[in-house]
Amino acid sequence: MSKSREFNIILNECLERMLDNGESLEQCLQDYPEYAGELKPLLDVVVATKKASAVEPHPEFRDRARYQFLSALREMEPQRSRGFFSWQPRWAITVAAVLIVLLAGSGTVFAAGDTMPDDFLYPIKLTTERVQMFFTFTTLGKAELNAKLADKRVDEIVRMADEGNSEKIELTALRLDSHLSGIADLAATGWEAGEATMAPEIEEAAVREGMPDVKFTLPGEEEVVEEEAPVAVAPPTPPPPAAVDEAQLMAERVSGANDVELETDRWSKLREAVRQDAVNQPARLRRLLETVSPSVRATLLQAISLSETSYEKALESLN
Amino acid sequence: MHGVTPHCWLNLVLANGGCQVQEEESLVRQAIQGDQMAFSRLYEEYFDKIYRYIAVRVGDRIEAEDMTQQVFLKAVKSISSFKWKGVPFSAWLFRIAHNQVVDYLRKRKKQPATLFDESLVTSNSNPQLMAERNLDVEQLKIATKRLTEAQREVISLRFAGGLSVAQVAKIMGRSQGAVKALQHSAIVALRKILSVGNDEQVQRI
Repeated sequence: MSKSREFNIILNECLERMLDNGESLEQCLQDYPEYAGELKPLLDVVVATKKASAVEPHPEFRDRARYQFLSALREMEPQRSRGFFSWQPRWAITVAAVLIVLLAGSGTVFAAGDTMPDDFLYPIKLTTERVQMFFTFTTLGKAELNAKLADKRVDEIVRMADEGNSEKIELTALRLDSHLSGIADLAATGWEAGEATMAPEIEEAAVREGMPDVKFTLPGEEEVVEEEAPVAVAPPTPPPPAAVDEAQLMAERVSGANDVELETDRWSKLREAVRQDAVNQPARLRRLLETVSPSVRATLLQAISLSETSYEKALESLN
Repeated sequence: MHGVTPHCWLNLVLANGGCQVQEEESLVRQAIQGDQMAFSRLYEEYFDKIYRYIAVRVGDRIEAEDMTQQVFLKAVKSISSFKWKGVPFSAWLFRIAHNQVVDYLRKRKKQPATLFDESLVTSNSNPQLMAERNLDVEQLKIATKRLTEAQREVISLRFAGGLSVAQVAKIMGRSQGAVKALQHSAIVALRKILSVGNDEQVQRI
């Protein structure tokens, strides 16, 4: 065996001993004194890299993440067994919508409108909201609805805190997070769509100069759902009009510009509303800490922390 | 607990790793069946590793925190689709993390330049250790920019993710020999880059 090959084997062995078994650099050098001179500078790099890689999550983040993970775990089971909109085909949602319209006549839906998470009719309230979301077709409309529903969730947390119901505080805080994450996602989508409209050539160039990195797939594994970057396809060029009525064209342009202005204005209003909520709603929850029973304090604190992060994320996305 | 084979915990490191794999497989099976306790133990086992891996790849604490949470939320949603066919759970989980990182970097539309952002250095009560670490951060931040993508991935998975060569090989879809070679070349490259950097520093002084 050549000396360089032997050295490579020894280096690999030392790497494994240091990285996998936690042995020290000195232990390795002691075993191979004849290579110590060559090994040491390389193993010094290993030690330095290992040290620099040892970043620790902040304790506060660790707690927040664990809370969110455990909540997601708890949420999963009911969703698997009872989650209606998570698995039902679209026609089923339509049927539900029709039922809700019919039930509305009997007053059930109306009665459910003001229910709280511990009420019998509360699931109907949630279903009504989902149907409402389903039949809201624009990104902006959905974002606005999420903001409205987020306010409702805060009201519910306040009530559940007053009643000392930890479990419902936790669940409602997760629903609040879901609405605010919805705003963040929708705002990002709306913004990206706006950008693409304004400067498709920039996006195209970005795709061309995209990361050389590739996603890994494993044999026998279902692909984790990831959205691919959209491929820019040039729309078919419309045939030139036989005769253009300039006045009509101008009117259409003005109308189009008004629509854009109106939409921009609504996004601004939504941003302002969320900005105020991001300050007021967590503060409102925080004030409750002085009055609630000690048994719900910890849960309420976690709910506040989650709400602050979620509002911040929504606002960041809207900005 | 040495020599205890019928029941060994996930965090018990055994020389042959056999018990750990067996225990992990059992936990994963339970987690797929909806055992929250089992899933929680897997979470505790991998949380820090996933965070470190992402943090080292993206170099931004806030993003790393957000993406780490997303990885585990995706894992919760997708665990029912996981099939134990010789593919370890770690490979599956790190693949989710890797894909998150790829998406993030693609969106940022620039190279993953900052492997070791100073904002990632956590507060430490030992000032000497902090000084040493900051020095490393500064040097390595520059040095790792010049590694190839594959070398950077191996370094991130091995050093930050704390994974074995075999696990890295599964995640990257390469042979163990290829991973060892990449690791070796990355260390040699880092050594060269760092020594040149030091020489330049000395010359400037």
